[in-house]
This record gives sequence, C-alpha cells and structure tokens, in this order.
Amino acid sequence: MASDTRGRILDALRTATRRPPAPRPVLPEPPELTLDRPQMIARFEGELSAQTGVVLRAADEGEVLRHLTATAHAENLATVMASTDSALAPLDLKAWGQANAVRVHTAADFADRETFRAACFGAQAGITGADFAIAETGTLGIIFHTDQPRLISIAPPVHIAVVPIERLVATYEQAIDQVFRDKSSPPSQFCFITGPSASADIQATAFKGMHGPRKLIVILVG
Amino acid sequence: MRQRTERFTTIARRELQNGLSQTFLSLLPPGFRALRAMGMSSFPDPDAAVEYARAIRASVVARLPELLEEFERRALALGAKVIWTRTALQANEIILDLARERGATYITKSKSMLSEETGLGEHLRKGGVEPFETDLGEFITQLLGRPPFHIVGPAINVPPEEIRDAFLAGAGLKESTTDPVRLGLAARLFLRDKFKHLKMGVVGVNMAVASTGTIINVENEGNIRMIKSSPPTVVALMSPEKVVPSLSDAMHLLRILSRNCTGQKITSYVSLDSGPKRDSEIDGPAELFIVIVDNGRSEIYQDPLWREALRCIRCGACLNTCPVYTKIGGYPYGFAYSGPMGQVLNPLLLGLADTRDLYQACTLCGACREVCPAGIDHPALLLSYRARAASDWHGPQAARVLLRRSLATLLAFAMTHPRLWNLGIKLTRPLFNLAARDGYIHTLPGAQGWFACRDLPAVPEKTFRERWRQDHGQ
Repeated sequence: MASDTRGRILDALRTATRRPPAPRPVLPEPPELTLDRPQMIARFEGELSAQTGVVLRAADEGEVLRHLTATAHAENLATVMASTDSALAPLDLKAWGQANAVRVHTAADFADRETFRAACFGAQAGITGADFAIAETGTLGIIFHTDQPRLISIAPPVHIAVVPIERLVATYEQAIDQVFRDKSSPPSQFCFITGPSASADIQATAFKGMHGPRKLIVILVG
Repeated sequence: MRQRTERFTTIARRELQNGLSQTFLSLLPPGFRALRAMGMSSFPDPDAAVEYARAIRASVVARLPELLEEFERRALALGAKVIWTRTALQANEIILDLARERGATYITKSKSMLSEETGLGEHLRKGGVEPFETDLGEFITQLLGRPPFHIVGPAINVPPEEIRDAFLAGAGLKESTTDPVRLGLAARLFLRDKFKHLKMGVVGVNMAVASTGTIINVENEGNIRMIKSSPPTVVALMSPEKVVPSLSDAMHLLRILSRNCTGQKITSYVSLDSGPKRDSEIDGPAELFIVIVDNGRSEIYQDPLWREALRCIRCGACLNTCPVYTKIGGYPYGFAYSGPMGQVLNPLLLGLADTRDLYQACTLCGACREVCPAGIDHPALLLSYRARAASDWHGPQAARVLLRRSLATLLAFAMTHPRLWNLGIKLTRPLFNLAARDGYIHTLPGAQGWFACRDLPAVPEKTFRERWRQDHGQ
C-alpha cells in the first residue's frame, strides 16, 4: 500500500502539464568573500556579540585554559560535559578539571544514551570544539559525530566552544562545501549556531535561554 | 485541525474590538518593515537576492516530482526511512503507530504548520499518546486551546495574566508571575523534563535538499535541536514542496527566509540532518522517519496557476504587510494558515465552497505579492478562486449580465451629466444612511451579495464639494 501511495502521488505530479522553469537570474557574489582575516575576525566578533555571544581570543592552549578557569569561576561551574573532538584534544580538560575542582565528563564515561543524556541535562556547561567560525553572521558550524555528541552544545545552560583560528571562513557555502565534500557519507548532523537559544513569544519580549544555552562563549585560538 | 473558516466575518468583527490584538497589530507593519529592511540591506543587491529566491522556488514547483525522487533516493541511501501519505489521516495514523510501537506515552513536537494542517496533536491525544508542543508560543496556544494568532508568534497577543493562569494550572508554574522571562523559564523547566526522557519526537521540515537527502530545520529556541538530539526515534513531517534542488539553493533560501520572517540575518540554530545517527554516536536518532504528506497537493498541482501557491516557504512576511491581516489578526482565517498565505492556501486545501470569505476579504492591493520572497502572485490566485466560484453561484448567467449592463448604462449616463449626478447623490445619500449602524453600512437591499463580506463607512452628511465650498468659499 505504501509504495502504491508513493506511485500515485508521483504519477499525478509527473503527468500534470508543465513548463520548464525560466533560467536563473544572476546573483551577485557575497561581499564577505573579499574580507581578509582581520576583517573576518572583526565581523565574526561583531555579529556574534550582537546576539550576546561572548568572543574571547587566546594565543595558545595555555590561554584557552586560563579563559576556561575564569569562566568556571564566573559561572560557578562544578560539573561540565566536554566533547572529545580534535579542537579540544590538546587541552587535556580532565587534568584541567582536577586542578580547578570542576568535574569534567565525556561521553566515554557513560555506558549508554540514557545515562549520557541525564548527565548532559545535569551539567552546568558544555565544552565543545567547532569546525567552523563563519564571519558572515558570527556563526559557528559544528559537525556532529562520535567525538562530538549533539546534546553537549544544547542541553547545558552554558556552551563554551573552542575554535582554532584557521577554521575561520567567510560564508555558509565555504563551510557547507567542506562538510558535504563526500556526498556518500555526510555527517549525520551539521549545525549552524549563532548566539544562545532565544525566544520572544510572550508579548514580543526577547530573552536568551529558552530551551538551550542562555550563554554562548567562543574562544578563538591562534 | 478543526476548520472554522465559515466564521471569518464574526471572528473578524470580534477581533476588531479586541484592544490587545489591536495594539500588537498596529505595531506590526512598521516594526517588521524596519527589521526586514535592516536584514535585507546586508545583501549587495537586495532586489537581486529576492529575485534569485523566487527563481529557486519557481524551479522547485516546475521540477517537483524529479526533485522529490532524488531527495528520496539520497535520504534512503543515508539510512532514513521515507513514508509517503496521501491524506492527513494516513499521516496521523502512521505517526501514532510509530509512537505506540515504541512504547511512547508522550511525544514532543516542534512548531510545524503542516502538523496544524493535519491535526496531528489531536489525533495523538485521542490515541492515548500525549503531544507536547515545545515552541513557547505553540506551548501556550496548546494549553489555552487556541489557534495560532501569527505564524511566527502564535501567542504573541495573549496577555501574560492568561499565560500565568494556564501555566499555574498545566505547566508546573510554582510562583505567580506575569514577567515574560520568568514565564519562559517555567516552560523551559517543564519541557526539559520531557526532552530528558523522550522516546520519540516529531519535527517539521523547512527544507529538504534533493541533491544530498538532507533535511533542514530553522529555529531560535533550541527545541528542535533537543528533539533531534535526545530521543532514539525522530519523525520529520514534510509536504512535498519543501524540497529544494541543492545545498547552495538552501543556503540562499536560508538567508532570505530568516530576513523575511523575523528580520534576523540567521536564526540561533539551523540544523542539517543527513540520515539517522551513525552506530558509534551516543545521541541523535537511531531511526529517522521522513513522512511526506500530500494532503491534496498533487491535485492542486494539476492547475498551472494554482500550483504556484506551492512556492510558499512560510516566512510570514505577507501577514506582516497585509492591510487586512494587520487589522484582524490570525484567528478569523480559521485554519492552520492565516493572512495572505492562508487566503491562498486554505481555499485550495479545504475547497472553495467553505472558504469564500477568505478569498473575498482582500482589496487586491498587492502588498503581499510585493514582499513575497517566493514569488507568489496572491491577487492573481484570489481572483481565479473568485472567478471559479462565481461561475458556480446563483441563477442564470444571462440575466445577471443583462442587469449589470443596464446598471452600467444608467451610471454612465449620470456620470456624464454633472447636474444629474450631483442631484442623484444628494438624494441618495440619506437613503444609504438609513441602513447605517455604529457608523457602518452593513447591507443594502438588492446588494446583499456585495455586502456579504464588506462594510461601507456611513456616508457623511455633506459631499466633498459642499465641504470644499464651505471651507474655501467659491
């Protein structure tokens, strides 16, 4: 029955009288393509700050850890969930946690989805890498995979993302082209993140922290 | 969704008296225009950007079956399950079965106009699976049992006192408050518990990319990301016209959609799913069902003009600029879609017979067509519904044509003889006002048809020429 339904819908569409679409008009190139790196960084910072995202700069891993320590104090972090993707690998977050009285969990600490997601909903912050920082709109691009679980950047009330500066690109397309380069095995999910979770559904009063993080902190490294 | 399109005039009259709706609606056109203009100004050529978006949507409608097949082939290769349904009921039953088979006592939903159209929530509840709306506005309208007031802000006109009472009764609000932020926080806490233990979630789809089999969701709140991350089973509900040819088209439409929806350059979250999670991943859905709901669209597609309505990307820009919507709000339209998009879509989905007021309640000013980033010619569609309906109405055509012609001849004669015209209007003005109530003429003998969906303001005592003579002398 199911395939019959499919056939009937597609047949009805196919047999309708149709005309080919008119050729596409010319679309001007995005002006972001002409930005140099300092301009891209400025644009990224400006756009993300406008969405209340906090952008921090770090020269090296040591400075990243000092930012994390300051954030842990400011936000009173006792339990965080961290991903294990390549941007975080050089940081040894478990050791950082031990030195700063912060319990740092990773997905490997949990046997299954149930215990992992309970821990994500219980964590005070999620620390992840990001695959792209997109200048156009101050947007992070994150590819989700085994070392980058989805819940870490959406369930805890604070999201801290560490992005090596060479991952800065100008436009969405530059990120998308890389993510979908191998058409046969794209990531199960890719996500653009531009600021914390938000709503303005009651009386048009805007606020952050609707279902996801109320705070987004991005540390650009290098 | 229960349809109340036949009560258009009654509800519109009531809403015109509703102070809160009126306050919000009066702020909408200038506010939206400013936000949209600011968003669009980031394009080097905003007009070219809109034209390109319109061309993308035109190619979607023109190549719909081919794009759907390509999307399905890619999605299947990625491990998604694609289910085709002809009717709303079929889609609802399939989703209810999926929930039952997985032992889900409840599901969470994202805002999906298609699910409003199919009445999914009601079907699930009757079937013993509790549906929780998770978009804040939809969560409120669900608790209050109301239709959406606006596609982007379904409960934006609801007074916080009403929300407080609804939350105290049904959303675990502990302390009485009318602060929007604290009310939002209460909804967050209530729904977090649902996300945390979720077995199955249902989301809509903003775009389905043919060349990759990817589904794209656009949101600010994070409820969709929660639904696509936490439970082992996710159902994505889409109508056929959500398909777009390529990722680069999707990226352009993304820029256009958010700017025309809320004026944002991009929403907080845009998530692109290509199949279910891979085996080694600890979260994300192990099963991804994509349910394609036709619900009459393949029939609409048979008419080359009517199929153009399928270009719609549900941004809501037409609502915000429509002089009718911005007076009466979303309730009178009586179905999932309101404003010009509702006037265009509801008659096609529900039939012309039950939706007459919807395609009559339009001055054909064209503000919707001008703003529409999908390139829909709303006035042309509404005129074609009127023409189709007119041919089905009333008595013999010939008699009506004769009557119209004689009236026109009479009027033409009067209009070309100024003294006769002036005398005529002097004499008829008081007669018109005999029928006036509350400053409006609601009907006149012999013209009930014309007045069925229109009122005239009462005629002033003096004509313009008389007032001019009085104020400025001769």
